[in-house]
Amino acid sequence: MRSDSEPRTTTSGSRTGGGGRTGPLAAPIARHRVALGMKLLLYAVALTALFTFPDVAPSRYEVTVAITLLNYAVLATAWNFVGGFTGYISLGHGAFAGLGAYGTALLVVKAELPSFPALFAAAALVGLIAVPVGYAALRVRGASFVIVSIALVLVLLLVFQSWASFTGGSRGMVVPRPFPGMLRTEHHRVFYFLFAALLALALVTWWLIDRSRFGLGLKSIREDEDKAQALGTPTFAYKLVVFVVSAVFTALAGGLYALWFGDLDPVFQFSILSGAYMVLMALLGGVRHLYGPLLGALVVGYALEYSKLEYGDTPLHLVTAGLLLAVVVLFMPDGVIPAVRGLAARFLGGGQSSIREVTAAELLHGQRAAGSAAPPDSRTRKEVSS
Amino acid sequence: MATVSALAATFALGGCGGGAGSEGSGDDTITIGVSLPLTGDFAEPGKGVERGYKAWAKIVNDKGGLLGRKVELKILDDQSNADRVVSDYEQLIGKDEVDLVFGPFSTRLVVPSARVAEEYGMLFVEPAGAAPEVFEQGFKNLFYAAPAVANDHYNHLAEYILALPADQRPKSVAYSAMDDPFAQGTAYGLKDKLEAAGIKTAVDEVYPPNTTDFGPIAAKIADSKADMVVGGSQYQDGVNLIVALQQLNYQPKIAAFSTAPTSPEFAEAIGNKTEGVLAPTGYTQKADYPSNKEFVEKYTEQFGKAPEEDEANAYTTGQVVAAAVEAAKCASQDEECQAKLIEFLRGNEVETVVGPLKWDDKGRPQSAHMIQQWVDGEIQIVLPEEQKEADFVFPKPKW
Amino acid sequence: MPSAGLVFQSVLLGLLLGGLYALLAAGLTLYFGIMRVVMIAHSAFLILAAYLAWWAHRETGVDPLLTLVVTVPLFFLAGVALQRLLLSRLSPVTLTMMSVLLTFAIALVIEGLLGYAFSGTQRRIRLGYSSTSLELFGARIAVVKLIGFALAALSLLGLYLLLKHSRFGQALRATIQHREAARLLGIDTDRVAGYGFGLGLATAAVGGTALSLDSTIYPSLHWHWIGPLMAIIVVGGLGSVPGAAIAAMTLGMMQSLLQIELAATWAQTIFYLALFGTLAFRPQGFFGGRLAQRF
Repeated sequence: MRSDSEPRTTTSGSRTGGGGRTGPLAAPIARHRVALGMKLLLYAVALTALFTFPDVAPSRYEVTVAITLLNYAVLATAWNFVGGFTGYISLGHGAFAGLGAYGTALLVVKAELPSFPALFAAAALVGLIAVPVGYAALRVRGASFVIVSIALVLVLLLVFQSWASFTGGSRGMVVPRPFPGMLRTEHHRVFYFLFAALLALALVTWWLIDRSRFGLGLKSIREDEDKAQALGTPTFAYKLVVFVVSAVFTALAGGLYALWFGDLDPVFQFSILSGAYMVLMALLGGVRHLYGPLLGALVVGYALEYSKLEYGDTPLHLVTAGLLLAVVVLFMPDGVIPAVRGLAARFLGGGQSSIREVTAAELLHGQRAAGSAAPPDSRTRKEVSS
Repeated sequence: MATVSALAATFALGGCGGGAGSEGSGDDTITIGVSLPLTGDFAEPGKGVERGYKAWAKIVNDKGGLLGRKVELKILDDQSNADRVVSDYEQLIGKDEVDLVFGPFSTRLVVPSARVAEEYGMLFVEPAGAAPEVFEQGFKNLFYAAPAVANDHYNHLAEYILALPADQRPKSVAYSAMDDPFAQGTAYGLKDKLEAAGIKTAVDEVYPPNTTDFGPIAAKIADSKADMVVGGSQYQDGVNLIVALQQLNYQPKIAAFSTAPTSPEFAEAIGNKTEGVLAPTGYTQKADYPSNKEFVEKYTEQFGKAPEEDEANAYTTGQVVAAAVEAAKCASQDEECQAKLIEFLRGNEVETVVGPLKWDDKGRPQSAHMIQQWVDGEIQIVLPEEQKEADFVFPKPKW
Repeated sequence: MPSAGLVFQSVLLGLLLGGLYALLAAGLTLYFGIMRVVMIAHSAFLILAAYLAWWAHRETGVDPLLTLVVTVPLFFLAGVALQRLLLSRLSPVTLTMMSVLLTFAIALVIEGLLGYAFSGTQRRIRLGYSSTSLELFGARIAVVKLIGFALAALSLLGLYLLLKHSRFGQALRATIQHREAARLLGIDTDRVAGYGFGLGLATAAVGGTALSLDSTIYPSLHWHWIGPLMAIIVVGGLGSVPGAAIAAMTLGMMQSLLQIELAATWAQTIFYLALFGTLAFRPQGFFGGRLAQRF
């Protein structure tokens, strides 16, 4: 699992994971090769499935569901540039998606740009807007950051509702079709691949940052911002850059959605709920992992669609999302991937040999929780016995 | 690991879709797909439309169905949400493979869903998209099943006011409209006509659909002392504005609100001080069109009360589509069939419970709305002259 | 130029609204003071209380004010439980972020359950005195608004006296100022924190009942309250109850006056402008001074 963002991790369940590379024995190397082969095979199968899905889907409706899931995946991955690397939890990323969508629509309608140049121009503009927003939001830590991120969504909702002459107000906006005259089935097919490409771009960018010095600096902010600063990491600049990258990807996803969907309504474009879904997806999957948000998006998105098909639309999906979020926050704040892996490690008995990453936060926590000697591989956070 | 799950999820989704997909296209039934706002902002009218559709299906089936096939409705709830309404029609057309679709409620939801139908080449008759922009999208498949578009709803009232002697005419008018194409369309249609005749606009307020505090708007209207107040309202916003105006003891000579006053709960909601409140309507239970008598009778039998305007518009939608189906002798998603249905409506007049309807090339109906007023604790038609049930009360008594 | 009558009327409306804001912001301030928790679900509980009042009125016809007898103790207990059972489980290091998510999750659950039980339709209590009003120098004050304001003002006063002059209030303030020190002095800080949360949630019960008298409610309405409330506690200086009260009255008044010239939604942006402005130029807030030092 080289996809992990953890610099020191070797938590794979098999005992050979760490020793294989250094050991002189041939057998572990062979096993390592097998693992590598398996992984390549998996990638091949995944890619084939991705490419052929629109052709093998049982009906055109499934393609629209797949597009929705891909859109969620891009949004969650984009959110994770901030959430995963720096540990800052933004509930307001819905604002950037909404700005990307409205930006694209307005550039097409008012400035008469062609659809796709408008999309990129809108994303660039959102990147520019994200600079002062990030500047204001990232200066403050903790509570104020969250307040700012929520307030951003709420104020944009008010502005886009009120400024009816420019944005269409509560009546919303109709985005002209990028491919006029194209049949709807073909339209879905094209956008399926566009969303897949955007997802690939986001994942590659994340992977590149993850392996860079820049990424290392960001992760040091997540673990202990004060220490990182003391050691000479330009923490503020780093945070700001990654915040802007995150906003741009979010805006691209929003803009692409606008071109695909065609109708914008401020209530749904600037919705706290969409921001919350991004957080839920990323946290559920695991913010430290390249594929974490993708996995979370598939699970949450699929659950939403499934419950809609089976039980119709009831407000209970809010309850489900809320409970899921609460469970993740309370019991597996690092996501499903580490939780499952932790379990697997415990059952296979391989967990002990692995060196687990311990954040400064957890160390501090460990010191405070006097007397309660937590097992080294347990990730559950105990109540402070104070 | 993540990729495997992704695959599994995608295929599982595909798999579960395959089983349920073909229920709609049996030979002995015609399945009609509808998405309606059964919860959310438009839940009240949405449920009215649902009752209208159900009444229509029952009446048709009791007579042996359409083309000898039973009619079956598949109704989804879109929560008054434009994102949902599109995915609902995608599901109805793409997955459930319904034979026909009916429109949803409210203009805000009609435009996105009409586009889905258009891009799949399907006929789209709708009971509620009355605002001008519905007809400016260039849809070729859309027909509005009601007598008139939103901006023409107050035409008879405008004529009445302009015919008053100059010293009795209202001198200034306060307008307050929801930022919703239909509601605002009704108020602004009247505003345009009165302004053109030189009647001053004292207040012009637009509020978003989720507004709950009407104190400030009411304060402005009360302060303007306008002779007449016009509310471009749905239901609750109209009630809230009236209560806020009552709290400020504002007494206009004419008070006209769209939709809200026609609701059965209206009188109680504003403390029974309804006397003289006006509202446009496209439907009256007492109209003597042949199909209307049957509708009122059977509807009352089925639901225990007489139908209102939303129910009637839904029923009209059913009648319009049925007329097209019987003329084209087909009901399926097949492109040729849908084209025949559209072609029929483009060139023909259809008898409905709101009178004979025909459409221009954009799908606009070509008739007019009546004006109702609360007179003696009951809402009655006062305009136009030839259809009136009571005399127009002017000026309005205090509320 | 707006007439003097309209300005006076707007001032009155602003005052009445500001009172409700002040009470609710006081609750938010308490949570923040006690645990540094931004309680997103506060306004969801507000709407829940309003729904309970509406529901009781619809089912039994009782005056919504009577529901206070049930909702206030109920919410107090819910607040204690929330703090003791859920929030105290979170790791103190990531508490601020995670508590936001947890209370956000609670808000979603409440909204979803309300929607499930009562649908998304807008609801409003119809009372015999809904449209009655009093005249004051040419302006009109609706009786229901006045009752709501009185309720808020009395509760706020009661809260103030409780914090200032009771043993529990002293313990709570000590806990807020320095938790470790308070514990060394023999204060059971956990219990005090739980009761503090209960008090905060009780303000939501009172506020919700006041709201239900004169407003339409629907399940997602709480998002429209949490934004202004968060702005108020930041402007007032996170953690200061009088600061929050002053900020609430000021901003409520400004909103009301701005509405004379602007549409209602534009006027509401004043809260967010104040929020962004405060964080950019005076992050410690305008009326509170240092965090939670004063009450």
